[in-house]
Amino acid sequence: METLLIDCVQSSLRHFMLRNAIFLCERLCADFPSELNSQLLAICYLHNNQAYCAYHILKGTQMAQSRYLFAISCVQMDLLTEAEAALCPTEPNAEALLLYHPISEFLKWYTDRRKSAVDHFKRALSMDPLLWAAYEELCVLGAAEEANGVFSEAAALCIWQQLLNPGSNTPNLQITNEDHVVVLNKTLGSEEMSPRQLKSMQGNIFRDTPGNHVAVFSGGPSSQPSSGGSSNISLYGTPSPMPAQLYGVAPPPLCRNVQPNLNILGGESSPKSKINTTLQGSRRKLLDEGKLRKKFCLSSAYFGLSQVSGRLFSDSEPRRSTRLAGEAANTNSNSLQVGTNGSGHSSTRYFGGLSSSSKLISAAIRSGTFCKGQPSASESFDEGRRSESFDDSRLDNTATTSSSASLFADDGSLERERTGQQMGGVLAHGSRVSSGILELLDLLRTLGEGYRLSCMYRCQDALDIYMKLSHKQYNTGWVLSQVGKAYFEMVDYLEADQAFTLARQASPYSFEGMDIYSTVLFHLKEEMKLSYLAQELISTDRLAPQSWCAMGNCYSLQKDHETALKNFQRAVQLNSKFAYAHTLCGHEHVALEDFENGIKSYQSALRINPRHYNSWYGLGMIYLRQEKFEFAEHHFRRAFQINPCSSVIMCYLGTALHALKKSEEALNMMDKAIIADKKNPLPMYQKANILVSLEKFDEALKVLEALKEYAPQESSVYALMGKIYKQWNIYEKAMLHFGLALDLKPSATDVATIKLAIEKLHVPDEMVDNL
Amino acid sequence: MATESSEGEEEGKAIGGNQHLVVDDDLREMAKKAAWSVSSCKTGNGVQFLRDDNLDTYWQSDGAQPHLVNIQFQKKVKLQLVVLYVDFKLDESYTPSKISIRAGDGFHNLKEIKTVELVKPIGWVYVSLSGADPREAFLNTFMLQIAVLSNHLNGRDTHVRQIKVYGPRPNPIPHQPFQFTSREFITYSCVR
Repeated sequence: METLLIDCVQSSLRHFMLRNAIFLCERLCADFPSELNSQLLAICYLHNNQAYCAYHILKGTQMAQSRYLFAISCVQMDLLTEAEAALCPTEPNAEALLLYHPISEFLKWYTDRRKSAVDHFKRALSMDPLLWAAYEELCVLGAAEEANGVFSEAAALCIWQQLLNPGSNTPNLQITNEDHVVVLNKTLGSEEMSPRQLKSMQGNIFRDTPGNHVAVFSGGPSSQPSSGGSSNISLYGTPSPMPAQLYGVAPPPLCRNVQPNLNILGGESSPKSKINTTLQGSRRKLLDEGKLRKKFCLSSAYFGLSQVSGRLFSDSEPRRSTRLAGEAANTNSNSLQVGTNGSGHSSTRYFGGLSSSSKLISAAIRSGTFCKGQPSASESFDEGRRSESFDDSRLDNTATTSSSASLFADDGSLERERTGQQMGGVLAHGSRVSSGILELLDLLRTLGEGYRLSCMYRCQDALDIYMKLSHKQYNTGWVLSQVGKAYFEMVDYLEADQAFTLARQASPYSFEGMDIYSTVLFHLKEEMKLSYLAQELISTDRLAPQSWCAMGNCYSLQKDHETALKNFQRAVQLNSKFAYAHTLCGHEHVALEDFENGIKSYQSALRINPRHYNSWYGLGMIYLRQEKFEFAEHHFRRAFQINPCSSVIMCYLGTALHALKKSEEALNMMDKAIIADKKNPLPMYQKANILVSLEKFDEALKVLEALKEYAPQESSVYALMGKIYKQWNIYEKAMLHFGLALDLKPSATDVATIKLAIEKLHVPDEMVDNL
Repeated sequence: MATESSEGEEEGKAIGGNQHLVVDDDLREMAKKAAWSVSSCKTGNGVQFLRDDNLDTYWQSDGAQPHLVNIQFQKKVKLQLVVLYVDFKLDESYTPSKISIRAGDGFHNLKEIKTVELVKPIGWVYVSLSGADPREAFLNTFMLQIAVLSNHLNGRDTHVRQIKVYGPRPNPIPHQPFQFTSREFITYSCVR
């Protein structure tokens, strides 16, 4: 009965009949209480978004897998120290270490353990170079090495070795398999069946195939999936507060998003499905399940794939796992029914993982949509995108998997053709796999380098690197958003606008970088576009912080700062780890002259992401207003250190320096700013300002004359020139310039000031007249 | 642009009422953080109805004339415009007819700066606080007092449905002599 119950539970899980699964599992645990069964129950609860149940069940368990699941539930419940304690590697084996990494990523934000987080990510990367999430986090932390180093030939070798790990003798394998399977289990949080399956299959396996193959599959994929799992968790870890919010997502929008994803992903995944079919088929045979199951499994796979858009953590995981399954399948291309059992076995693991990942999707399984033609990899990639800023890694994985998908399409078909062949097939596919690995690494290298450079704000370099991508990869939502962000950081808003528009065309349901896009439109004062964007985003997903950021920007553009603030606060409520929402709140507080709250908001943003230079800038501005010039200078300098390319920050740093009477440095800074960005007129204006206050009127005038060319419609330029001429008592010129300034419709305060200045100009004339 | 009917600086000029509240973009409502008080009010029609953005609710006074609305700010502010919503059709004898605006540091040194006379107004009434001089573009004050000196048809008590006070926006960029007007300057003037 135990086996039967377990089987039922797992099939219920696959079909998203979660309540059924939970009920049956509870019966199972009552009758056969064991740690493995508790794990299965915890898995059911986790799928059903009841992390607290899983937490209580698994508290105090010792098995590696249980601890892993416990850590997941702790992260979901925001109990990070417990999660860390659970994952603490009592045995320093590779898998345990890898599991630790995603938690460390999360912890770095809170406990300021940046160094240890960086350490762990680096180790994770060295163990599994395809772990994009780890590299991405390193970039965000500012501690990434060059992509060339990470995604290098050595890495390829490492992956290759992992895949083709020469097996030892059978008995060891059996044990290793078990262990690995266990690791797999815990990593993927999937079917508990596996050890039993493995046991049942082992007889077959070792009867029909040299144990080596099994070793290969179990050994290879097992280490991969654990890293996949860790990438899993890292992805999971980052948006951990979000899952809580995710559960509130209304099914219709999600389905809406899912459907197009599925439609397109269906096509993309069909090559995988071919692979999976074979693998699944073998398993099914063993387990005597119908073809229907297979389809459902595939559907769950697709749901998992489409969940790249969702904020579920297992997104990258299923992607990777399907890819790895493909790889594994390729490695053992003989696709012996039994031989592939090993891999099929592991791949089922993945599918289990996939099904677990698609927990939020209602049971509206769209098995019918799978049979589409193969779209471009980029398309599928884009449709899969609808994630928030933290989900970069998922998308990257999608990118990688989509590229490999095309690869495996060939392999899948090849594999089927080679049914029944032996080692010869293995070698041929081995070379295919290695070329696949190299291609993948190449892609990751480009993307990684680009991302790293853009995190270091070397935007022009990043753009150059992104241009090297293939056309298909470039025209994906993620890459285009990154391009847009790079232009944004370079203060080239028009280009950024273009890039983001393309990104939206490529993947209209994605949220990646949409907050930045709304800021770009805000800067460009495009009210129509901005309100349209905001409306679209909100109607797509009311619970995404980016939508509310866009809406807030819209109101802010119309100077309705209170409503804008409300919107930004909503964004913060939705995801308190979203640093940019805090920064925008801070901007609005400042606009409302509420400096205390502004400071608080900026500091929250900095607590979340100390490299968020906008917040440093915001704090600098507040202190500038409050005339606390040392503080202002300090904050502007920090912002400048993080982003040394921004001419705006240089300009303000110069202003702060000038206020501190360090005029020489100020002027130097202004010159630097002028050189950094030719299109920015402000440093010149500020330079003129400084020169005026230093009474170096000639130089100031020179600068202003040059500035007139750049911005002929700026009234403050003429006003300042008028001031200078007034100083020199050249009344006609002063009048001329004041008049020009007034013509350009300055604000009411300035009108008053200018008119006053004009009056004062005339006083001597009047006196002359009176005489 | 602020749509105002003819606005004179002498006393006793009559003003009509505007249906819509349209204010210059570079003005902003100043009195959100101010302390509002009234000389008297009827229960159920208190001072909060002057600020509730609802034109159906009103403040009704309940004492001797002149009826006073006091607005006290926490620091000296620049004010440019006062806008009141009154409706003769609905309020008839409760509609104010003569309004005096006083300013100063506190109750002890209020000085009258403007008087306006209303003739059957329906809608928003704009009262500019600027003088003719460019020097007097804004009124710099700690406290503003709006006094209703008399009503239409010699009514004793008065209804005022809404009052808003406007002043100039501060320069978004601190320590600048002038505000920026052109798009290039504004685009580069801040990091968001």
